Amino acid sequence: MNQVQKNLRVMLLAFEVEMRQNLTDGFVIFGILIQPLLVALMALWMLKGKGPDYAIFVVVGSGMTGLWTTLLFNGGNSITGERWTGTLEPLVASPASLRMIIFGKVLANVAQSLGSMIGSYLLISTILGYPLTLARPALFAVSLLVTVFALVCFGLILASFFILIPDFARMVNTLEFPIYILCGFLFPIALLPGWTTPISYLLSPYWAAQALHGAAQGTLTTGQILADWGWMLAFSLSYILISGKLYQVILRKARVDATLDIVGN
Amino acid sequence: MLHWILWGTDMMERISRNTRIFFEGAFYSYKALFRWLNPATYLASKVLAPLTIMIFFVFIGAYASGSNNASFYVIGNSLIFAASSGIFGVTMSVGGERWTGTLPYLFGCPANRGAMFIGRAFMHILDGMLGVFIGLGWGILLFKLDLSQANPLALLLTILVTTFSTSGLGLLMGCLSLITRNVMLVNNTVYFALLIFSGANIPVEELPAWMQVIANGLPLTRGVACARTIIAGGSLTEIMPLLKEELLIGIILTILGYFLFKVFEIQAKKLGTLDIF
Repeated sequence: MNQVQKNLRVMLLAFEVEMRQNLTDGFVIFGILIQPLLVALMALWMLKGKGPDYAIFVVVGSGMTGLWTTLLFNGGNSITGERWTGTLEPLVASPASLRMIIFGKVLANVAQSLGSMIGSYLLISTILGYPLTLARPALFAVSLLVTVFALVCFGLILASFFILIPDFARMVNTLEFPIYILCGFLFPIALLPGWTTPISYLLSPYWAAQALHGAAQGTLTTGQILADWGWMLAFSLSYILISGKLYQVILRKARVDATLDIVGN
Repeated sequence: MLHWILWGTDMMERISRNTRIFFEGAFYSYKALFRWLNPATYLASKVLAPLTIMIFFVFIGAYASGSNNASFYVIGNSLIFAASSGIFGVTMSVGGERWTGTLPYLFGCPANRGAMFIGRAFMHILDGMLGVFIGLGWGILLFKLDLSQANPLALLLTILVTTFSTSGLGLLMGCLSLITRNVMLVNNTVYFALLIFSGANIPVEELPAWMQVIANGLPLTRGVACARTIIAGGSLTEIMPLLKEELLIGIILTILGYFLFKVFEIQAKKLGTLDIF
């Protein structure tokens, strides 16, 4: 078996185990289904005067809130979760790449959180009876795939911050809504003060939201959506490269300081 | 005569003991809940997180209406911070006893259950009020919230009563956390439901009839309405009927929570399930 196959096998096994574990976690169910549906319901009422496309805008926007919340709380905790359950040491000691294991775990979280978009779609179209049409379904589907990849790569960095920055886990509650705001999930960032725009441009969820909203509502040209994919892929590549260094630092620090299983460090 | 003197002395001793249990329990459970947070993290969760939630809803509101009606969302979301302390803080103070393994000691001690149980909410009422002040402060600083017409005493009373009523909900939820593993699921669901039903972000009269019925049975709904009336220049007399109802809801929830707490104590002792998750 060559190295690529081995890594893929490790990633898929991590994906499967994470999926199974998440199915028993009430907070995961909240992040994937309940919160996005409640946000969708609220946004639906608040934005009801925004014209014929607002329902699909709410589906995509509330789905993005579910994606981000799950990535932040569950994907971010991918390494610390292993630490809490005492399985981080065996994982690190095994010859498999820690980064591939975390990639598989974050992928499971992000893939599951796509359920939030499906849930919002079903709630708004089937139960509430709003007509929902995807203006450019093929572009939307590809945008969704690129979004998943970009968010998983972002999750690799987030997971390492939970270990490298001791206060990060405690500050995580303050990071949920700023991304909703800066990435234009449920309102355009043009409403925000101009100085925040460059910050939005540095966040891959912003490009994801722009591509998904644009493809769903048909408000962007193919070229503009392709550009959004390009930004997401460029950020993903940089996250992968940076995460390689960060994971080396984590493993080295753990061996030097002997703090691998010490919770709170 | 002597009998009455002895009875009076005994009663005074009981009151003194229960007051001590109430305040000591309140202080230590609050300290235990936040001990793991350092001051910077506490400030981030009390000052920054509320601001981000408020900004989110103010901008959705601005996008929806195309006009600047920020004060509607600022007032609504400031009052929501009372619910945040009431629900999450109080629930974790009660439910945390189980997670930290201290529940058997609590149920094993002879302390007055009422003082012990209701004391768990005390610090969070103060904390919740602080959260509301911070929210209104952000509103004044960033969204030009105008409090010049507000009667300060009436506003303070509204905040106190609303924080108390949401803490009552927290006490009830705290009891549920003694019998479920998924307390965060329940807490978060109730918190987000309050965001919808309480009128903080959507005027209650715009909700469908069945949702208005639910909204009127929840704590916070009347508190939000009272705060908006007071800030718009309304008088205490004007809001008093609503405020009384808000207080009544808080009392009912607290009594219900206490009743459940007693039931769970009896059941847990009978079945030997104090620490079983």
